[in-house]
Amino acid sequence: MSEKKRTQVDDIDRSMYDFHYDESDQEHLEAGLTPEIVREISEKKDEPEWMLEHRLKSLEIYNKFPEPDWGPSIEGLDMDNIVTYVKPPTEQQASWDDVPDDIKNTFDRLGIPEAEKSYLAGVGAQYDSELVYHSMQDSAAQMGIVYSGIEEALHDEKYEGLIHDHFMKLITPSDHKFAALHGAVWSGGSFVYVPKGTKLDYPLQSYFRLNAKGAGQFEHTLIIVEDDASLHFIEGCSAPKYNVANLHAGAVELFVGKNAHLRYSTIENWSKNMYNLNTKRATVQEGGDIEWISGSFGSHVGYLYPMSILNGRKARASFNGITFAGAGQNLDTGCKVVLNAPETSASVETKSISKDGGVSTFRSSIVATPKAEDSAASVSCQSLMLDDRSRSDTIPAMDIRCKNIDVGHEATIGRIGNDKVFYLMSRGMSEEEARTMIVNGFADPVSKELPLEYAVEMNNLIKLEMEGAIG
Amino acid sequence: MANETNPLLSIQGISASVEEKQILHNVNLDVAPGEVHVLMGPNGAGKSTMGHVAMGEPTYTVDSGKIIFDGQDITDLTPDKRSRAGLFLSFQAPVEVPGVPLTSFLRAITTGREGLDMKRKEFRKRIRSLADELDMDRAYLDRELGVGFSGGEKKKVEMLQLLLLQPKLAILDETDSGLDVDALSVVSHGMKLYQETCNGTLLIITHNTRILEHLSVDRVHVMVKGRIVAEGDASMIADIDQNGFEQFEQAAANAE
Amino acid sequence: MEARTLNNVSAMPAPTWHWLHMNDATVEVPEGLDAASDFAIDVAEGTAGAFDAAMAAAQEAWDAEHEGYEYQRNYTDEQAEKLGGTSLSAYQQGVDEVEASKDLARMFDMGMGGDATAYLREVAGTARVIEAKRGEHASASVRIAGLDGHANVAALDIVAAADSELDVCITVDSPTPGTGLTGSTIRVFAGDNAKVTITRVQTLDDSWIDLDDMGLFLGNQADVQINQTVLGAGKTYTGLAGDLRGTAANANVVTRYLGHGDQKIDFNYTLRHHGRKTTCDLYANGVLAGTSTKTLRGTIDLIRGAKGAEGKETDNVLLVDEGVHNKTVPTILCNEDDVMGNHGATIGHIRKEQMFYMASRGLSQKQAEAMFVSASLEDAYIEAPNDATREAVVRLGNKLVDGFGELVEDNEEELA
Repeated sequence: MSEKKRTQVDDIDRSMYDFHYDESDQEHLEAGLTPEIVREISEKKDEPEWMLEHRLKSLEIYNKFPEPDWGPSIEGLDMDNIVTYVKPPTEQQASWDDVPDDIKNTFDRLGIPEAEKSYLAGVGAQYDSELVYHSMQDSAAQMGIVYSGIEEALHDEKYEGLIHDHFMKLITPSDHKFAALHGAVWSGGSFVYVPKGTKLDYPLQSYFRLNAKGAGQFEHTLIIVEDDASLHFIEGCSAPKYNVANLHAGAVELFVGKNAHLRYSTIENWSKNMYNLNTKRATVQEGGDIEWISGSFGSHVGYLYPMSILNGRKARASFNGITFAGAGQNLDTGCKVVLNAPETSASVETKSISKDGGVSTFRSSIVATPKAEDSAASVSCQSLMLDDRSRSDTIPAMDIRCKNIDVGHEATIGRIGNDKVFYLMSRGMSEEEARTMIVNGFADPVSKELPLEYAVEMNNLIKLEMEGAIG
Repeated sequence: MANETNPLLSIQGISASVEEKQILHNVNLDVAPGEVHVLMGPNGAGKSTMGHVAMGEPTYTVDSGKIIFDGQDITDLTPDKRSRAGLFLSFQAPVEVPGVPLTSFLRAITTGREGLDMKRKEFRKRIRSLADELDMDRAYLDRELGVGFSGGEKKKVEMLQLLLLQPKLAILDETDSGLDVDALSVVSHGMKLYQETCNGTLLIITHNTRILEHLSVDRVHVMVKGRIVAEGDASMIADIDQNGFEQFEQAAANAE
Repeated sequence: MEARTLNNVSAMPAPTWHWLHMNDATVEVPEGLDAASDFAIDVAEGTAGAFDAAMAAAQEAWDAEHEGYEYQRNYTDEQAEKLGGTSLSAYQQGVDEVEASKDLARMFDMGMGGDATAYLREVAGTARVIEAKRGEHASASVRIAGLDGHANVAALDIVAAADSELDVCITVDSPTPGTGLTGSTIRVFAGDNAKVTITRVQTLDDSWIDLDDMGLFLGNQADVQINQTVLGAGKTYTGLAGDLRGTAANANVVTRYLGHGDQKIDFNYTLRHHGRKTTCDLYANGVLAGTSTKTLRGTIDLIRGAKGAEGKETDNVLLVDEGVHNKTVPTILCNEDDVMGNHGATIGHIRKEQMFYMASRGLSQKQAEAMFVSASLEDAYIEAPNDATREAVVRLGNKLVDGFGELVEDNEEELA
């Protein structure tokens, strides 16, 4: 087990994400998924009846859905062997001192408490399937902002109604197989409520850590940003490496009110045994906007397409994403946008990089309904192939059903020009340095949108992936 | 001298902006029928903007002032209405329109215009003779508008439209830029024809005096930083030729 | 014949979400159509079996050139192996399988594929052969007319030997009223240095369904130009697949279309780069009016080994009426690094700068839109390769634009 510290740039090494603690004193449910297990989950959580019904209905739908035939193979994911529910031996804490040492050490090493002190307005940390830490600055609480565990909020009379009205209304269990699975076994996650007119200047952050071997994480994030309010939410994910498949099938539902603003940033760095089948979706009302910043570096298989549904006049969406697929990774990422009101606009800019047999697929859909008159959408994607044993596919779909609209799309694929490498080497750089610099430059449009700490982490991840890229 | 009492085009106190950045500042400019005016100035002075604002390009917002053309206030008219009122703008960079043969385009823009809505045969004959007049290969008439045309051919197509539409007043926006000697002489020929056959009125936007050599210029306006800073007769051209625009730039600085 | 449903037609090689309903097309063949293969062709029959013979020879030559060559499957590292490899999608695994076979015939695809190619072959019977022998310059024209109550299909093998030039014009029209189906299924072999141009213009009335199925094979430095013009038919399905096998082979595909009324237009293009320095350009430009619907699947597939290949695709769609529906999915698949792939699409109303230019010449938006519709017909007339095609365009044009025929015929008189 490595003891390297995360914040030291020079020390960056993927093994620092790879430490893991003994899971012997945690309780495991039996592998496999039955209505009994689902009932047991619900009972343990002491949920309202409607939630149990929702879980059972979702399970039914899950069992009916075929596996997707268009994306990366999920044959390696034997659902019967996945321990779908792993409860850590702790209740949620509001002080790091009360978090058990091994879990706290995990987050320490990931630099979370430190970041909380320096620039975050609030932090939530999920360890396997339960939220273990949650706290928010007093100033934010005084503004009326709620940031708590979603299960906790579900047990609070003040919020149960809100949750009932929003929970899996945007991502319904019938959307796809893994949304149904999520509906059946979801556990943990965050609830954020930003009241009307409230603008939070500092980001809230949530960190997900999947520590148990062969486990699943199914957290649910529900964020409601009311009219004229503003929020930046950051999500980070990591897991140690095991040689059996882990599964992450979370769901993120974002409700953006009139003239409200939400920025949702993610750096996903799950370990390379993870099947990341995450679903994220936002609905935006009149004049509001959603900004997605999304970096996908980890996972063995990724299916990730944050969706923006623009339901109000002049609603806007932007998506800025980067995907780096290295050895053994098949990352199918992109986004979906639905223009469903007049004068809406969407802009999508993505980058993808493939190396050492990695497969990256950019997949998107832009749908403009007949209501989307006077709207505009632009999609631009660039793919970089770093060698000739990898793969990079671009599959962007556009479905346009109204007349007064401008939809533009452009994509390019290629490799790093030898002339650029030669130029940098002529100024004294090694080939590896030159290529790393070019790839970092390629990723720059995304990294410059991230908070500094995350931008540094992303550049380090790129550096790590580029090591030994020559010869 | 300009006919003070009855200008054909009268730009009155126009201020205009794009994306909240003001480009034109209280511009006044009158052009009488049959005259040749030149709007000069250094690069980025706002000359082209002036031409586009006169034609009604929606990108620009007119913040104040009005534009009177042929006795009618056209400030709020859409560009197609201004065109049909007899105003013409030759583009510095004409657009390409894939899928539309030049002939189809020319027919569409003459349709419904008084005196120009000619019979088909007559129309064909007319555009062929204009092509010949402008030393333009007739094959271009069947090509898609602008697609694969050289810079010179694009400008010839602008001249062809000028001669076909016979507007009352033509604004020529940097029609001479980037042309070789042969193309330049064709464009000059086109301008002359327009004056002779239609008793044309011209507002020529340029930062280069060469195209003016064979024209009798009535009045020169100098624009710097979105303001008209000097006006005078044709003798100003020789002066600018020798001394450049620097002499006016101080005036512009003072006006700010 | 019984009504038939042809499934999995014109499927894109790497599918996407099913809910978009873009992955493939389903063709409903109405019942009661009699099979026919009645079409006019103005050249003598070529050598029977010429296509298969050419492919067999190409395989031999390719094998000789590629002695010791093995296709490199997608690389996997040790950790991924423990999890069962890189978890390739069904499509990605399929590519590795097919490529590893080194079997050129197996890798030769037809653009419509699925049930459609089989159906068309069944209706048409034995393919007619149009041939240009080595060094020859030949041309042919083919006229397929709608036959009332029939599915009338031409099967053609177009074989251009090394160093030959071959131009083929295909007119698909319905000069007499009726309902039914027309179609063509065409295999094209362009040998080394051969230059092949195929122009297909379709001007059917709306009571017809048209199926246009084509597959291309290109040898070293072969140059294939395909011009497709779709102006008519209630439903049109066009599928084109091509194997750019030889070094520096080039394929250009230009598609022009005008959707009007309630028409449904479906295009599927797949060009697969195998040879080094191969190039392709897929260019589509069209207008959708009325309540017409268009789907375009365009795939450029840059296969490992195609060093220096460049592929480009463009779809420009002008929407001129409320109620039109456009679907475009411009795909690039790639597992080679030394390549360039580009695609672009613009979909919507007349672009701002174009509209200002046209407005400055006196056109309102409505007038400009009407001009685009009639211009696409005039363009087809101007580009028409022969009299038969011109006649067909005029016949359809007269139905859509008042006085269209007189308009363009004036042009003819003066040229004469």
